[in-house]
Amino acid sequence: MNFTYRSTSLLILVLAVFSWTACDVGESGSDDGPDFDREAMLANFGENIIIPSYDALVDSLNEMATAADNFSADPSTATLQQLQSTLKSSRLAWQRVNLFNFGPASNNLLRTSLNTYPTDTARIEENIDSGDYTLGTVSNQDAVGFPALGYLLHGIGANNQEIVSAYTDDPDASERMQYLEDNVDFIQQKASTVAQEWSADQEDYLTMFLSQDNLGTDAGSSLSMLINAYIQHYERYIRDGKIGIPSGVRSAGVARPQATEAYYAGYSKELALANLQAVQRVFKGITFPDGMNNRGLSDNLEAHDETELVDEIESNMDDAISSVQALNDPLSQQVQNNNDKVQSAFQDLQAVVGPLKTDMTSVLGITITYQDQDGD
Amino acid sequence: MNILKRHTTAPTSIAPLVVFRVLFGFIMLVSTVRFALKGWIYELYIRPEYFFSYYGFEWVQPFGALGIYGVFAVIGLSSLAIMLGWRYRWAAVAFFLSFTYVELIDKTHYLNHYYFISLIAFLLIWVPANRSFSLDVLRRPGLQRDKVPAWTVNIFKFQLAVVYFFAGVAKLNPDWLLRAMPMEIWLPAHSNWPVIGSLLTEDITAYLFSWAGAAFDLSIAFLLMYRPTRLPAYAAVIVFHLFTYALFQIGMFPFIMILLTLVFFSSEFHQKILDHARRFGRSIRQIFSEDFEGLRTRTAVTPSKPSTKSNYSMSGWSARIVGGMIGAFVVLQLLMPLRSWLYPGNVLWTEQGFRFSWRVMLVEKAGHAVFHVYDSDSGRQWEAANWRHLTPRQEKMMSMKPDMMLQYAHYLEEVYKEQGKGDVRITADTRVTMNRRKGRPIVDPTVDLTEAERGWHDKKWILPLRSYRSALKSSSLPPPKGEFKATEVKKHPSSEGKRGRTLKAKSEKLSHQVYVPDRLRDKFIPLSEKTRDRILSSKQVKSSIRNSD
Repeated sequence: MNFTYRSTSLLILVLAVFSWTACDVGESGSDDGPDFDREAMLANFGENIIIPSYDALVDSLNEMATAADNFSADPSTATLQQLQSTLKSSRLAWQRVNLFNFGPASNNLLRTSLNTYPTDTARIEENIDSGDYTLGTVSNQDAVGFPALGYLLHGIGANNQEIVSAYTDDPDASERMQYLEDNVDFIQQKASTVAQEWSADQEDYLTMFLSQDNLGTDAGSSLSMLINAYIQHYERYIRDGKIGIPSGVRSAGVARPQATEAYYAGYSKELALANLQAVQRVFKGITFPDGMNNRGLSDNLEAHDETELVDEIESNMDDAISSVQALNDPLSQQVQNNNDKVQSAFQDLQAVVGPLKTDMTSVLGITITYQDQDGD
Repeated sequence: MNILKRHTTAPTSIAPLVVFRVLFGFIMLVSTVRFALKGWIYELYIRPEYFFSYYGFEWVQPFGALGIYGVFAVIGLSSLAIMLGWRYRWAAVAFFLSFTYVELIDKTHYLNHYYFISLIAFLLIWVPANRSFSLDVLRRPGLQRDKVPAWTVNIFKFQLAVVYFFAGVAKLNPDWLLRAMPMEIWLPAHSNWPVIGSLLTEDITAYLFSWAGAAFDLSIAFLLMYRPTRLPAYAAVIVFHLFTYALFQIGMFPFIMILLTLVFFSSEFHQKILDHARRFGRSIRQIFSEDFEGLRTRTAVTPSKPSTKSNYSMSGWSARIVGGMIGAFVVLQLLMPLRSWLYPGNVLWTEQGFRFSWRVMLVEKAGHAVFHVYDSDSGRQWEAANWRHLTPRQEKMMSMKPDMMLQYAHYLEEVYKEQGKGDVRITADTRVTMNRRKGRPIVDPTVDLTEAERGWHDKKWILPLRSYRSALKSSSLPPPKGEFKATEVKKHPSSEGKRGRTLKAKSEKLSHQVYVPDRLRDKFIPLSEKTRDRILSSKQVKSSIRNSD
């Protein structure tokens, strides 16, 4: 009696545990809903968006390095203009990669190295004076990267004539030129390290990104890292960094013009816009540079029957883009003269965060894991 | 009467209690070391500038880096002492106080299993778990007892049964049973696993896990108590907890439960474990026999040495006090999980009475909260940068839990006061999604949270999950001294057709309820109108179509 009871309950247990294992083995590849292939989406992100964008950044930085050499060999308003324009295209190229701050980029501290602003001009002048500095240390974080170049190429004179003379006639002209070139090298080297780590011929992060082990949606999976980085970038570095903080929403309503990105170069809005478009492209899965509409987050959501959510996110993104478009450069002046428009752009940017951070992550089963902890 | 006596005061073998003590001390030591190695002491208790205290326990604050490391040292050492049975009572008291102290610092990190550990530690203080197989007995052989009153073992079975049973009761809700939520969200996370990965994405799997999980939780304690079903039930415990360990990020909890549920096994079983342990210990000692000559002769006789007094009993007064307290404990444990019924609305959404109720792995929530600050003195308006004041984890938890939003708003008020700003008004624009429902506001966006109070009362400013519209109507809006500002409702593509029109009409009606005090109108309207617009049109109107439940 006892024996049969025991074996029966054991049998039930075993059946319960294994019934689902047995129900339809052999069917696979159906990841989220019938038509969605997550691996293909990640491959699209990695191969058609992330790596080409890094390559474009590296190309642009190479051009900037050549322009810097030319400027150094023959400082003139013509060579300066050349260098200024390569700086601008590099900064625009940066807007296509800064949202992927995970893996190689976060290991190499790419964001803090390349684009910590507002830049510390006193520190820069101090470094030039002393000639004794190591770029890439934490203490020099505010004195390197694109914002430092922006100051050195736009901020040290009222016009290009004056700027050129700072590199030709000033007592510290050659030291200044050295600091400029060191900075260009530093940026170039940082970015190409990250680009190489992603690429298949070098460290090959791509293979790891697409490996079977990382194809889930649990913490640490490729999609989870990408989405966490993506949302954090949007919240902190676009909504707050590019628009919110300059407009004063984070400083008791007092505008902070100096906190704009590209304060000296004066094309803050253009950068913000480029960045927003990059965010939108990842959502839709649009490839770079050829602009094909491939698998993206929107497709993943649609595979879950969340067309309505996709509509909401896309229309909010469109609103955000058009209200940023309506701003005027230099943004540092707009926040002082007509800040209402900037604050309303901030609100439109904010409207994207909710559906992205709550609904989208929830539908896709992604946890926001900026910080590791147990749950229950 | 006899049955009651048999389970409470009648003598029973001390073996289960002793094994329980050793295992508990062991797993707590492991957990503490793991916690420290992960760097969480710093991340959770030193790094934050603000801590979300429990209501009534605001005085529990971390006292600096050195202090908190010291407390964790106490937790680790006292778990070791519990395991070894060294100065046991003091160790149990020290463990209970230090562990509970840490848990009370910040509710961000509340986990049901931490609460469970605190309860077990509290119970361990009152039982003679050191009266055999312990350093205390080695030190003073006179302490040795073979029998203890049955309640000292059964109270732990009771506690375990409470955890499982109420966890099961909590699963009896429509989301869990009829929508397989949140299993359907969580299981596909591992769809990349070989062989079973693709099964994890099947709907049927989510339902199976949900129903099996509920059945397991409701029945397991009883199956463990009943001898004929005990063995398969324990096998189920192992399988169940290993599954949860593999599928979800829940730390040490599965192992704690696997070890502690052994207490349901018979005295003979535990006696065998102790005999094996003794034999093992003896053979180890024989290897080093020369060094441990004295120890060996002394302990080898311990088990066989007849104690002068083999039954543990308490004298009249202390028995009455401890008995009364344990009785009160039992009643409290049975009532605590039910207190959520005293509040209106869905407890999973409002979280009123959510904690300390064994609501484990019940809900997938994500949120986003924006705090609008308005300083009437300067007429300025801004938004708090949550990431500046909170750690990512704190912000994440706060963004979905109304009670934490309130605390945070109060904290912000204090911060601004210190900065010399006047009496600020703080409202929250929130969006929370629960079990894949469309995100919607959880806090009335018109309520000044600096005026709302903490406490046990029902928070009227929490918007219910079901009917957001009726909530706005009845919500505690301030007396209408100012002007009502009708906001235009954005037309959404989905609000076409008859149903769309009625919804639109309704929300237009309710838009007249949006109240803006006079003094706020200049600065406040341009932004809040927009926000409100968004809430009314995109969130509410659409979501009410989708969520007809």
